[in-house]
Amino acid sequence: MAREERCWKRIGVWGKEEPRCPLLEEVIHCRNCELFTRAGRNLLERELPAQYGDEWGRVLLKEKSEEPLGSFPVVTFRVGKEWLALPAGIFSEIIDRVPFHTVPHRRSDVLLGVVNVHGEIQICVSLKHLLGLEDEPHRDEDPGKSQDRMMVVEKDGDVWVFPVEEIHGIHRVRPDLFQNLPVTLSKSKAAFTRDIFEWESGHVALLDDEFLFYNLKRSLQ
Amino acid sequence: MLLLLFYLGDVMYAMKCKKIREVVPLVKLKEVAHTPDFLAGIFNYRGVVVPVIDLRMLVQSRPCEMRLSTRIIIVDYLKEDGTPFVVGLMAERVTETVKRPENAFASQGLDVEGAPYLGGFLMENHEMIQYMDLDMLQESFRFLPMIGGGHNVPEKDRITA
Repeated sequence: MAREERCWKRIGVWGKEEPRCPLLEEVIHCRNCELFTRAGRNLLERELPAQYGDEWGRVLLKEKSEEPLGSFPVVTFRVGKEWLALPAGIFSEIIDRVPFHTVPHRRSDVLLGVVNVHGEIQICVSLKHLLGLEDEPHRDEDPGKSQDRMMVVEKDGDVWVFPVEEIHGIHRVRPDLFQNLPVTLSKSKAAFTRDIFEWESGHVALLDDEFLFYNLKRSLQ
Repeated sequence: MLLLLFYLGDVMYAMKCKKIREVVPLVKLKEVAHTPDFLAGIFNYRGVVVPVIDLRMLVQSRPCEMRLSTRIIIVDYLKEDGTPFVVGLMAERVTETVKRPENAFASQGLDVEGAPYLGGFLMENHEMIQYMDLDMLQESFRFLPMIGGGHNVPEKDRITA
């Protein structure tokens, strides 16, 4: 595709040229634009690379390895210095950290405020305070390298946004590898933790989502 | 219902996803001599020999272009005697699925004797998408011994389950 046609690099969201693309008003982001989609499709209209068929042939002749029965996906993330996990099914998306706006007269430790997610106002809550995790001393990190994210979670029709310090990704866990909760666990945290599993020489607490969201709802009423 | 969109040449088609097991990249196929030209070949799909039908050859008498977006749709079928078998359908620009209500194909298609598997049309952004019926399509490749349920085999030689 000719260079001048790559409008998203010039007048779209990845460019700075003026005047801006008039279509942006309507589609908000280039990825929603028909032109951008078509350009992406064109990439797939290339001729087959040599060896492509052989390589995939080798992949496909292997039987699909089935996950052990009963394993399910969770998303692991870090709050403070604790690694936690929640079932992947309740996640709507992960977004970059954006500023939240406090709500007058409704500020509590748990309720941080409201946040704009794709033009919709969602409630932003602090897992750290809900779980009673210790505050971490302030880190002097390069803001460009920050791994801060926000998790958008939907449970029973309610949408919640949690700021977290880091997201590792989706990880499959097997219930037979769950371990007992250590008795030294603080009381409030133990209540929210369903199981503990080992992961990369550390332990991750799988949170009880039913209990968590039940408590969240109650604490905001 | 979920529909898989694909092209044969410049014509867009849609098929129901219910019977589709997966869509795989275009792998190297082994050609089989003395078979209809729309049988593109066979390949080893996870330990099973799977015949691949070139849909464009079947419908338009021209082979699919060898592009990255040309893929093999793996479909689960049942033989006459009820045993399952798998067929690969090669089609072009297999890149998209859409969700549509069951009655989306309101307009009736033409009754073409040679191609009973081509059904009604779906209107989408001024484009017409023709529906391809996977059950009717099965009639087109009855010649495959692994598909026909062995009806060329004399009655007495048939293995009954």
